Amino acid sequence: MSSVHAARTRALEAAGAEPRRWAARRERLVPYGFVLPLFAVFVAFYLWPALNTIASSLFEWGLLNPWELQASGEWDFVGLGNYGELLGSERFWNAVLNTAVWLVLFPLLIVGVSLAVSILIWFARLGRVAFRTVFVLPMTISLAAAGVIWSFVYNPDFGVLSALVERLGLDGSLDLGFIHFEGGNWLSDPGVIDLGVAELRLVNLSLIVAGFWAFTGFGVITLTAGLTTMSQDLIDAATVDGARPRQIVRYVIIPQLRGPLVVVGVISVIFALRTFDIVWVMTRGGPAQDSEVLAVLLWKQAFAFLDSPQAGLATAVAVLLAALLVALAYPVLRGLRRERR
Amino acid sequence: MTNKPTAGEEEHEGGTPLVGWVRDPGADAVGLRRRRRGAGAGGASGEVSVVITWTGSELDAFKAVIDGFERDNPDVSVKLRQIPFEELNSQVTQQFVTGSPPDLTVALPGLIRQLGEQDLLLPLDELWDEWTADGSYTESLREIASVDGTPYAVWFKGNVNALIWYRPQQVEQLGVQIPKTWDQFIAALDKVKAEGEQPFAVGGSDLWPLTQWLDPILARVAGPKVFSGLVDGSVDWDDPGVVRSFELLGQLIKDYFPPNALDRGFIDEVCAWVDGKAAFDNQGAFVNLVAPGECDSDLEPGRDFTFFLMPKVDESKPEVQFISGDLFAVAKDSENVGAAKALARYLGSAEAQEIWAKRGGFVAPNANAKLDVYPNANDRKAAELWPKSDEVPAVYDLDDAIGGEVQSTLREALQQFVRDQDVDRIVSTMKQVDDRQSE
Repeated sequence: MSSVHAARTRALEAAGAEPRRWAARRERLVPYGFVLPLFAVFVAFYLWPALNTIASSLFEWGLLNPWELQASGEWDFVGLGNYGELLGSERFWNAVLNTAVWLVLFPLLIVGVSLAVSILIWFARLGRVAFRTVFVLPMTISLAAAGVIWSFVYNPDFGVLSALVERLGLDGSLDLGFIHFEGGNWLSDPGVIDLGVAELRLVNLSLIVAGFWAFTGFGVITLTAGLTTMSQDLIDAATVDGARPRQIVRYVIIPQLRGPLVVVGVISVIFALRTFDIVWVMTRGGPAQDSEVLAVLLWKQAFAFLDSPQAGLATAVAVLLAALLVALAYPVLRGLRRERR
Repeated sequence: MTNKPTAGEEEHEGGTPLVGWVRDPGADAVGLRRRRRGAGAGGASGEVSVVITWTGSELDAFKAVIDGFERDNPDVSVKLRQIPFEELNSQVTQQFVTGSPPDLTVALPGLIRQLGEQDLLLPLDELWDEWTADGSYTESLREIASVDGTPYAVWFKGNVNALIWYRPQQVEQLGVQIPKTWDQFIAALDKVKAEGEQPFAVGGSDLWPLTQWLDPILARVAGPKVFSGLVDGSVDWDDPGVVRSFELLGQLIKDYFPPNALDRGFIDEVCAWVDGKAAFDNQGAFVNLVAPGECDSDLEPGRDFTFFLMPKVDESKPEVQFISGDLFAVAKDSENVGAAKALARYLGSAEAQEIWAKRGGFVAPNANAKLDVYPNANDRKAAELWPKSDEVPAVYDLDDAIGGEVQSTLREALQQFVRDQDVDRIVSTMKQVDDRQSE
């Protein structure tokens, strides 16, 4: 009797375990189901093109003889030859130098000015919204449109800046040994800074100012949001302790804003590295190659030099650019994540 | 030869309604034959896709030209696709190599060469044999439309370059005589400078306006053979004629270019000259449309502004005409070759070109287009300069004819040349990038 009972119990348990296992399995699988559509989009439109770009950078090809994964018979494999050619090319290093100017100055300007403006707006008793709107407004227009607007500002015939400089009598040239400045020729040849090993063309500054104008609203908005979440008690406590406004900013506000500051910094670095639209609209990388940044060089290699098999070089530029971007952004974001934990 | 088709419904003898006329030299005394509705020219029917770059009033003018074709070919529907000029080469190339080309595309010789070399275009020998035989086009125009001797395109919109535009009133006030020789030209420029005015407005920031300077000097100093050699890659950039041309250009830049030559774009250049900030503007015939259209709508072509041809540098050298313009090529893989070819034939005809010529800002490349259709003296004068016989060889915009990386590098190198006038540097830059001589 007892053995019959035991067997019956086992059978009943087994019958109950089966649905539980299914339920557990379903529970494990359902989230993947939700993620799958997004993952498919990611694979199709991000991962696959990225892998395709990396692979195609190892071949010589162009728009007239495109590289196709399935047409292996037509491949012209050059290995790391495209990278070697790039690294040995003067034009590539010129683009690297111009990109480096963007990379250093643009985030510094964005972070510095956004921080100052946000704090000033935060402290302002009147017109807070109006000031914030003024700084945020340029963000609402596209970068290409910003480029057009600043091309007008810099125009030698009717530009506001040229007229102002002329009125103030500052349209001459200035020579300080290693710096040569030519007022008025904002987009052609405003001058150079001679670093000994290389010359920094000041036309890049003209473009950075335009980019800064268009992008600074992002910094102001992000930092203002950070300020509004900051506890007023901290400021009050510091004030009671006799801290001066400068000390409050230095020792209370800035440490509290570390997270938003890193976000603004990283996004500005990414923007600076992949900048294309403003440069393209305003100078197309010129005059000559004075303001040619890596993204512009990439475009020219892929699309302007149609009859040369240069797209392999363009994808090599893209890969190097992406690698640099990851190398710069990853440690900062990782540190920030660790801090949050 | 220049009878134009007229539209309108008519009743044919058999009672079938007729639309329009089609030109047929063998038909009757005036070369016209009634055509049944739906028959089309040569039986053309279906849809034809055409890539163009024109916008605004130029697009309207082209649509009027296409209306003429559709009237003659009621079974053909022409679908226009506008692409920004700067993106024409890359977008059209992608369409061709991916196997879905437009039936016709507007193109400059550089793109025609690139697509022709890949065997992606339809040879048009038959059309060209007719046209060169009846005097519609010269051999040098055929050569410009050809790749390795095979014509792959038809001319549609012409342009004459090396025109020195001036405002008679301003030049008169400066006491400058219109020059006929190179020495007189230099003397006129010196006189302008002596009067404290800028001799030229230059739109170097747009890159291509600088080639308007290099090309006529190259064609005249180095000669048309060297010029054509640079186009096909048989002549190197350190050819003595080329070096001499760069030296002369360097001298002109040093002496007569404004300090903001690289700050201004093309439109700013024209408007600066219109506003009296410079006495002259070296540009193509299209300035006749741009000056009143973009700068001052009160300007009357011929009365308020006109041009003279840049004089020959060396009187003993043969004459050469520097031209440019837009051509149309037919895709070899066109799904409607019959209609595409009929449209190409039409676009190359005098009657199609006269439709736009009447609106102004256009030089009809077909020698049979009537001069009296041009709406003003400047357009007429420019049209008279268009090569109509092979006595004066024609050379096309150098960089547009070469295309690709060489074109891009030449334009940028010219910007650098404006700054430093360093002949060795520009020659070595071009030699570095143009390795066709070693192939």
